Amino acid sequence: MKINRRSLILIAACLPIAAHAHGPTRQKITLTAEVAAPPSEVWGVVGDFQDMSWHPAVYSSTGAGGNEIDATRLLVLGEEGGPTIDEILYKYDAEKMSYSYRITEVSVDVLPVTNYSSHITVTATEGGGSLVEWRGAFYRGYPNNDPPPELNDEAAIAAVTAVYQAGLDALVARFGS
Amino acid sequence: MRLLPALVAKRRFVVSILTSFVAAQAVAEDVAFVTNQNGHTLSIVNLADNSEQQSIAVPGAPAGVAVDPMGDYVVTVSADSKTIRKFDPVTGALQQSIQLDGGPIGVAVHPDGDRLYVSDWFNSRLWVLGAAGLNLQAEWPTGTAPAGVAVSADGRFVASADKEANQASIFDAHTGEALHRIGVGARPFGITFGPMGRIFTANVGSNSVSVIDPEAGALVATIPVGERPYAIAFANGRGFVTNQYADTVSVFDVDDLKVIATISVGEYPEGIDATTDETRVVVANWFSNTLSVIDTHKLTVVSEIAVGDGPRAFGTFIRNVGD
Repeated sequence: MKINRRSLILIAACLPIAAHAHGPTRQKITLTAEVAAPPSEVWGVVGDFQDMSWHPAVYSSTGAGGNEIDATRLLVLGEEGGPTIDEILYKYDAEKMSYSYRITEVSVDVLPVTNYSSHITVTATEGGGSLVEWRGAFYRGYPNNDPPPELNDEAAIAAVTAVYQAGLDALVARFGS
Repeated sequence: MRLLPALVAKRRFVVSILTSFVAAQAVAEDVAFVTNQNGHTLSIVNLADNSEQQSIAVPGAPAGVAVDPMGDYVVTVSADSKTIRKFDPVTGALQQSIQLDGGPIGVAVHPDGDRLYVSDWFNSRLWVLGAAGLNLQAEWPTGTAPAGVAVSADGRFVASADKEANQASIFDAHTGEALHRIGVGARPFGITFGPMGRIFTANVGSNSVSVIDPEAGALVATIPVGERPYAIAFANGRGFVTNQYADTVSVFDVDDLKVIATISVGEYPEGIDATTDETRVVVANWFSNTLSVIDTHKLTVVSEIAVGDGPRAFGTFIRNVGD
């Protein structure tokens, strides 16, 4: 089939920006917190993908598939009817106390990121407590060149950092430091 | 300039003779040039003793990288500052730089060493730059969001992985004529020419590798691999595919195109390339800030090397400094 360049360009111009389109530079952050409780106790709280009630921003957490690969959950933030985040589990290792999940659907008004993936790991500290490590990898909310300030790389890093910090602070408050 | 192809042929011949006799020493001379996108540096890594020799500041979030087959330079592409830079591969000295508009991301060098092809993520085109002066020679239209770009070993074809168009574009490397646009898996990112001159794309959206015959302009096969495949390298009759979300490398046989092994590497493996003697492949682990070195016979990781923050190494990043 002969390619008609003009019609290709017209088709391309009419396509909506796909949700998986992203900016040029993926960002990553790692936040950690030490808590006094032993790893098994901390894992007992954060290790269930179906229950994120330990995070103060989460109003409700409902899903399917338990802690199996491809399990899903819907987080409602703040209050009933609040903004939502859809997530899917893609790695889970109870022995290593670690799991990884991705956001499948979120508005950039709620969290200004795309192509977001995250990992939570609990390890033992020398003093008998636990180290909780929360990592994220993501692109900024704006997929094209010259992002507005609320959707640029810095905004994405700030937003995810705030989410992780709030969660870790809650764990420190719960388990002591 | 007419002499160049003859020189290249001669050099290749000498190298192949050398590597066949002293394979262990050939690998001892290999060097990896690793773009660290979050750290804004280029790590120059000696693959003989597996250590970072030098770290060079490369502002603007470098991702794409390509080594000149003639050994005269290494090119980096900084995505954020839209800057192409040429470095001396031995001293690490900056030779030249140019700023482009749009969204430069991937880069490949023609085997002659005299032209560069840079993908424009935002404007559906390849830039063709002269290597000597980084001067713009041509622009070739691709599908939406071209990422990876590659040149065939014989220098005839240039191909791009057009991510949002789910296709590969194939051009005549000399005339720029668009020869074929071929539908592949979902959202191809990395693209590599492999054995028999075939093109392989890593399709992040469909967890597969597409195999293309560029002569016929036809899709030959599709290989299921791990979660979110990113880039591909070839060594020892095998293809090696980094799977970003699985933290693994899928290994397939290049003849029957079946996966024969899956190797655990660091977190978020991205760029991948083979040593010149094909005994090793080297993987850049974006989240772990390391390289994993894989033995291509045993199919195991034989060493880990610390590099800068956020290594992408998106392109051909290993060259032999002994030739």
